Amino acid sequence: MNKDSFVRQIPLITLLALGAAIALATDRFLTPLNLTNVLVQASVITVVAMGMTFVILGGGFDLSVGSTVALSGCVAAAAMMKAGIAAGVAAGVGVGALVGLVNGLVVTVLGVNPFIATLGSMVMVRGIVYLFTGSEQVPLDGTLPKPFLDFGVERFLGVHYLVWLPAVLLVALSWVLAKTPYGRGVYATGGGREAAFLSGIHVDRVITSTYVWCGALSGVAGVMLASRLQSGQPTAGEFYELTAIAAVVLGGTALQGGEGKLYKTVIGVFIMVVLGNGMNLLNVSSYWQRVAVGLVIIAAAAADQLRHRR
Amino acid sequence: MKRIATLIAVAVVLLAGAPAIAQQKITVGVSLPQDDNPFYIALRRGIDGRAKELGWDVIYVSSQEDKQKQINGVQDMIARGVKGILISPIDATAVNAAYDAAAAAKLPIISVARASTSPNQTLHVAMDEKQIGRDVANWTINAVGGKGKVALLAGPAGSPTFKNVLDGYTEVMAKNRGMSVVFNQFGALSRERGLKQAEDALVANPDLVAIYAANDDIALGASQAVASAGKKGKVVITGMNGVPPGLRGVKDGAIGLTVELNPVTWGRLGVDVLAGYLKGEKYKQQVFIKHVLVDAKNVDTVLPK
Repeated sequence: MNKDSFVRQIPLITLLALGAAIALATDRFLTPLNLTNVLVQASVITVVAMGMTFVILGGGFDLSVGSTVALSGCVAAAAMMKAGIAAGVAAGVGVGALVGLVNGLVVTVLGVNPFIATLGSMVMVRGIVYLFTGSEQVPLDGTLPKPFLDFGVERFLGVHYLVWLPAVLLVALSWVLAKTPYGRGVYATGGGREAAFLSGIHVDRVITSTYVWCGALSGVAGVMLASRLQSGQPTAGEFYELTAIAAVVLGGTALQGGEGKLYKTVIGVFIMVVLGNGMNLLNVSSYWQRVAVGLVIIAAAAADQLRHRR
Repeated sequence: MKRIATLIAVAVVLLAGAPAIAQQKITVGVSLPQDDNPFYIALRRGIDGRAKELGWDVIYVSSQEDKQKQINGVQDMIARGVKGILISPIDATAVNAAYDAAAAAKLPIISVARASTSPNQTLHVAMDEKQIGRDVANWTINAVGGKGKVALLAGPAGSPTFKNVLDGYTEVMAKNRGMSVVFNQFGALSRERGLKQAEDALVANPDLVAIYAANDDIALGASQAVASAGKKGKVVITGMNGVPPGLRGVKDGAIGLTVELNPVTWGRLGVDVLAGYLKGEKYKQQVFIKHVLVDAKNVDTVLPK
C-alpha cells in the first residue's frame, strides 16, 4: 500500500482504532444491544450527511439542514394526523425539497454566497417551525398512526427499518453519483465551474439540484426522526448541520467540492456517533465531551487542508 | 365672551379627561427565557389570563436563551413606560444589567421561576428548587426499594434552577447507602437527547433501576429507550414540569413521577404579587408556589380534560 492510498484509508482506520480503544475501555461497547443502538442513533444523521455530501460535492454548503429536519418532521406529523401516513411522508419530504429548492435558487439566481444563504434559511426555517407548531410537539394530543410508529422500532431480518433506509439510500445514491451523467455533472461542477460550464453542463441547474437533494434527504431524515421520537418536535435537528459537515470532512471529502464519496461520509458519521457513544458509556463528563467533539472537528478540517493542498 | 367660552371648553376637556387619566391602563413588561418550552408557554398563559382579568396590558419580549437579548428587551420595555416587570432570567448573574436598569427607573422587577443574584431583584416568586429535588429522590428511593443504580439526565449546564433541583436530589441519594449514581450527563431539554442518553446509560448499566430526567421531554425520550430495551416497569423514570404530555406519560406508566409546577397558576401568582406590590403590600423576599408530586396514584386528578 503506497502512501497515497494509506492516506485515503485514514478515516476507516480512525474508526476502527476508535472502536478498538472503546472496546478495551468498556466491555459494554461490543454488545449486540449497543451496536444496534449505535446503528439506529447514526441512521438519521447519516441521511442528512449524505444530503450534505451532495451539496459539498457540487461546491456548495448547506447550514439549514437541521432546521429542515425539524420542519419536515412537524409537517409530516401534522399532515399524517389529518390525511394518513403516505400523505404525511410525502408532505415531509416535499417540504424539505422545497427548502432545498429555495436555497438552490438563492445561491444560483441571486448569487448569494451559500454559507450566508443557508445561514439565513437556517434561521428562517426554524422560525417557521415555531410559527407552524406554536412551539409545541405535533401532535399535542393523540398519537401518530401505529404503522408509522412501528417503523421506528421494528426490524426486518434482524436489522431496524431505520437502519435499512439509509443503507438502501447509500447504495442507490452512490450509483447515481458514480454511474449517471448527472452524477458526473455534479463532480465536474464542483471540481471547476468554468470548465464544467464550457463543456456544456447546465451548471446552475446542477447546483440547484444538489440543494434539492440535500433538502429532500433532510426531509426524509425529519420523517425518520418523527417516527423515532413518536412525534414532530420543533426543537429537533439542533446542531445537525455541524455534525453533518464534520462527518463529511472526517470521511475525507474535500470541502471545496469536486471529489468524495457517500460511503466516506458514512464512515465520518460513524466516527462521530461511536465517539459520542463511547464517551457516554464511560460516563465522560458532558463538558469534556464537547471539548472532544470540537477537537475532532478541528483536527479533521486541518487534515482536510493538508490532504488537499494543491 | 370668547375667552370665557374657551375657558369652559378647556375645563370640560380636562374634567372629561381626568377620569381617563386616573384610570390610565397599567402596562407591565414580561421577559421569559424561551418561547418554545411548554413550561414557559403555560406560564405565559397564566400571566396573560390574570393580566386580562385585571385589565392590564402586557408587553412581551422574546429572548430565546440569549442573555444580551433579554437585557435589551427589558431596557426597551422600560423605555416604553411599563409600570413593573416580571422576568425569568436566563442566568442568575449574566442578566443583572436588566435588574439595574429597572432599579434606575424605580420600577419593581420581580423574578418568576428562575432567580437572579442581583440586589435589585424586588421579589422572587419561586418553587422550592432544592426541596423538589429532595422530594423526587425520596419518592424514587421508595419506588425502587432503597437499592440500586441511578442515571441522571440533568438539565442544561449553567442553569441554577436545574442545578438546585439536582443538588437536592443528589443530596438525598448520597445519604442513602443502597443507591448509587452511575451516569450523570448534562444536556438539552429535549426528547431526542433523553432517548439517546438513556439508551447509552442502559447499555452501560443493564441493571439500572431509576432514571432522573430534568424535565418531562427528557423523561419521555428516556421512556422510549426503556421500552425498546424491554425494561418497561423495571426502570423507574422521574420527570419535571407536569405538562400534558408528561402527565399522559404518568397515566400510561411510561413515567413514574413528574412534578407539577403548575406554571399557569405560577404565572397568575406572579401577576398578583406584582399587583400587590404596586399597591404597597409587603412580601417576604421569596414567595413560594407549591409544587405537587404526580404519580400513578393522583394523576387522574390533574390530567387536563
